[in-house]
Amino acid sequence: MKIVLNHLHVQRGAWSLVAHGTFEEGIHLVSGAVGSGKSTLALAMAGLLTPVRGTVEREDTKSLMLSTQFPEFHITGLSVADECGSWGLDFKTVIRSAKLEIDGDASPLTLSRGELKRLHLACVLARQYDLLLLDEPFSSLDCTEKERLCRELSGRDSGITIIFTHEQSIFPRVDQLWEITGGELCALGRTPESLTRWQHAPVLVKKLIAAGRCPRNLTPGDIREAACRTHE
Amino acid sequence: MQDARIRLASAALVSVAAFTSTWGALAVFLWWLVFSPRLQRMKNRMVILGMIVLISAVALLIWISGGDGFSYFLRMGVIVLIGSWLYTEQEPGDFLSVSVWALGRRTGFDLGMIGECAMQHAESLSRDLVRIQIATKLKGEAWGVRNLVPAGFILIHDALVRADDMSEILAVRGYHKGGVLCPGFQRCHWDWVAGICAICAFFFAIIPVSEFFILYQ
Repeated sequence: MKIVLNHLHVQRGAWSLVAHGTFEEGIHLVSGAVGSGKSTLALAMAGLLTPVRGTVEREDTKSLMLSTQFPEFHITGLSVADECGSWGLDFKTVIRSAKLEIDGDASPLTLSRGELKRLHLACVLARQYDLLLLDEPFSSLDCTEKERLCRELSGRDSGITIIFTHEQSIFPRVDQLWEITGGELCALGRTPESLTRWQHAPVLVKKLIAAGRCPRNLTPGDIREAACRTHE
Repeated sequence: MQDARIRLASAALVSVAAFTSTWGALAVFLWWLVFSPRLQRMKNRMVILGMIVLISAVALLIWISGGDGFSYFLRMGVIVLIGSWLYTEQEPGDFLSVSVWALGRRTGFDLGMIGECAMQHAESLSRDLVRIQIATKLKGEAWGVRNLVPAGFILIHDALVRADDMSEILAVRGYHKGGVLCPGFQRCHWDWVAGICAICAFFFAIIPVSEFFILYQ
């Protein structure tokens, strides 16, 4: 199971992005500044944007899901129960897993952005997809919810999970690190080796690396362990 | 066509011409062939195709019931093409500029802004519909008739929320009535030719040309 970007070239007006590389099973983090092209790349990888040149080849990925940055973009149901039903899920199970206290008859359009994001992510993560593309999954979430989401994502042991984010504080376990700089997707390699090459690395990670305490991964536990490490 | 004033006036004239008579519709179709980029830059082709199919169905019913279905098809089809051309050529700010130029900074500005907001909402509705279709597809459902009702509700809700946000922004920025705008228009000789031909098509449609020739004989 893998997804191959074969000299992919996507363009929007004067802006363009070039991507070449192979995403295999595991959790991938695609990092980049705001406006660097993360969402555009996610759309292209989901087959929702036609590239100018190059191809996206998905091998043995039978099921695909793209979670966009804006949860309201996924609403197709008139009530919360309908919305859960449109994902093929039971309303009560979803709100329990999202830790929400909302009525099934309520319109999803009346929920706050944070509530809607939690509901949407609960629907997405309730199913196992071979290829899961998460565009800014941490936006609109508070720290507690970000940590809970990271724990869920870190627990994914099959399929390809690609997280597109400019998040700088809380991360799940990451197997492979990618970065978009200067209109190009760069493969930085596997963690933890790739952390030293990460230009958009959070300040704390950079400081830990500078102090010779490179974290083993990016989870809050790994960062804490590196910060408290007294010797290598 | 660069000049928004000539474009809007031409669209109004040829729409009336196409609606008035079958010969007028034919003249406007020729005008559309000559002065528009035809299908090359047409936006929302699927919507246009859907409308043509709908018009064809109605025309067929008229023809079956003994009416002039062909005339209906031709007149409505040409009006759809003109509407599509106008929508494709429209640039943000055109309505505001033309309206201020024609009716001044008070009424003109207000009417122009309403027109601009309406165009912006039309664009947003079109984008929202596409993203609802994408969301449905991602959930593994096929897009069909049963999706239309929830999609319609979501589109209306989003449009109302957007209108509410827009009114709040305008109020916060101090908008009360009217505004200052110095409209500027670019035009080329071809704009004038198209405008004059639109006037000719209009008169061709409203003047009973066949009766004129009978009288001449």
